[in-house]
Amino acid sequence: MIVLDPAHGGTDTGARGETGAIEKDLVLDYARMARAELQSEGFHVIMTRDDDSNPSYADRAAMANSYRNAIFISLHVSSTGSFGTVRTYYYEFGSAPNVPAAKTAGPTERTTSLVPWDDAQLTHVGASERLAGAIQAQLALRFSGSPASATPAAVRELRSVDAPAVAIELASVSVKDPNSLAAEAGPIAVAIARGLQSFRTAMSAGAR
Amino acid sequence: MPNDWKIVLGILTVAVLIGLASLGRLHQRMKSLSENSHADEQARREVMAAPVATPTDVTVKAMMYWQSGQDQLAPVAVELPLSADPVERSKQVLDALIAQPTPQQHTLPSDTTVLGFYVLPDGTAVADFSDALATETPSGIASEQTAVNSIVDTLKADVPALRRLKILIHGQEVDTLAGHVDLTGFFDLNTAPSQAPIAPAQTGNIPSTVTSPSLQKTPPPTAPLHGD
Repeated sequence: MIVLDPAHGGTDTGARGETGAIEKDLVLDYARMARAELQSEGFHVIMTRDDDSNPSYADRAAMANSYRNAIFISLHVSSTGSFGTVRTYYYEFGSAPNVPAAKTAGPTERTTSLVPWDDAQLTHVGASERLAGAIQAQLALRFSGSPASATPAAVRELRSVDAPAVAIELASVSVKDPNSLAAEAGPIAVAIARGLQSFRTAMSAGAR
Repeated sequence: MPNDWKIVLGILTVAVLIGLASLGRLHQRMKSLSENSHADEQARREVMAAPVATPTDVTVKAMMYWQSGQDQLAPVAVELPLSADPVERSKQVLDALIAQPTPQQHTLPSDTTVLGFYVLPDGTAVADFSDALATETPSGIASEQTAVNSIVDTLKADVPALRRLKILIHGQEVDTLAGHVDLTGFFDLNTAPSQAPIAPAQTGNIPSTVTSPSLQKTPPPTAPLHGD
């Protein structure tokens, strides 16, 4: 199950550009386009919101956590950055006293079925990094100037997701023509679909 | 034109003129309030950001991680008088980081002030910033990550005694900086901090506003706490 997460919503508009671009609306369009693309390729897809609502971080994570083998993809538009560049992020844990070294943990190393909600992403960091890399490689082909590899960052929305999870952020709402941002929905959708295919193939090969 | 109409027209004209005059005064009043608010903020910042000077200050080359291109950081060597005390040294470094020389190098809002800085015996640092850090940092993963990284990388480079960092906003633990980057955890600084002795105890204790559950799990202090 692919869980597409258009960030923000409702009174939380996210980034706002001076020319009228609003993050919450753009990412909803991106998610709908990505849903259509993914469904055409045989993926099962749900969205954390399909209207102007604003689910909490916990509610968004819960939608992914209620499925077995889910993949969570959060969509954002930044307020800064060079227009038309895109970055894919995966969660990077610090060394809080109650959090063991994240980089050494893996899906097979979980010793208990009780997963702390706030650290649910901990055992998926490796898979999330691979997923982010696969999607970013596809984005870099379509968005000139984007980095070739994924970026670690403590993105709050990903922390409680008990599944591979990434956040994609396009720059930026500061563009002069808001329509140019809307035009990026297609390439983003295709890049996500190709990246997921690549990730799925790699995971299947690894499982054999 | 009938007299009634003339009277109505006259009243309407007077009402419009009064309305226009009121609008003008309202505009002036709003402008004045805005200027006063800005001046208050500037004055508050000047008071809060008074240069920190200690008897152990030595001028050294400090590394400031400022913006170099869109959402990219680069270290810049700056000569600064820095204290041997990690708490005072951290405040000096953060004040210098906020006072970025050009708008292009800004990673933190210029209205930001360091309200407090504390170091626990295990090397955990707690930095308490004013609301401006959260309200004026541009919303977005990249911009928020740039702001946090500039703080983390600068402290990592210039205050080797610190092991990890907790960021508070106005004394409170917050979920995110400006909607994206998670501030509920700790940011790694120097995982193998220098063994330099922590400076003599300062006055003051950890404030009651430090409410992080993670911090509360820290073992009881075995040495005096340092704080302002």
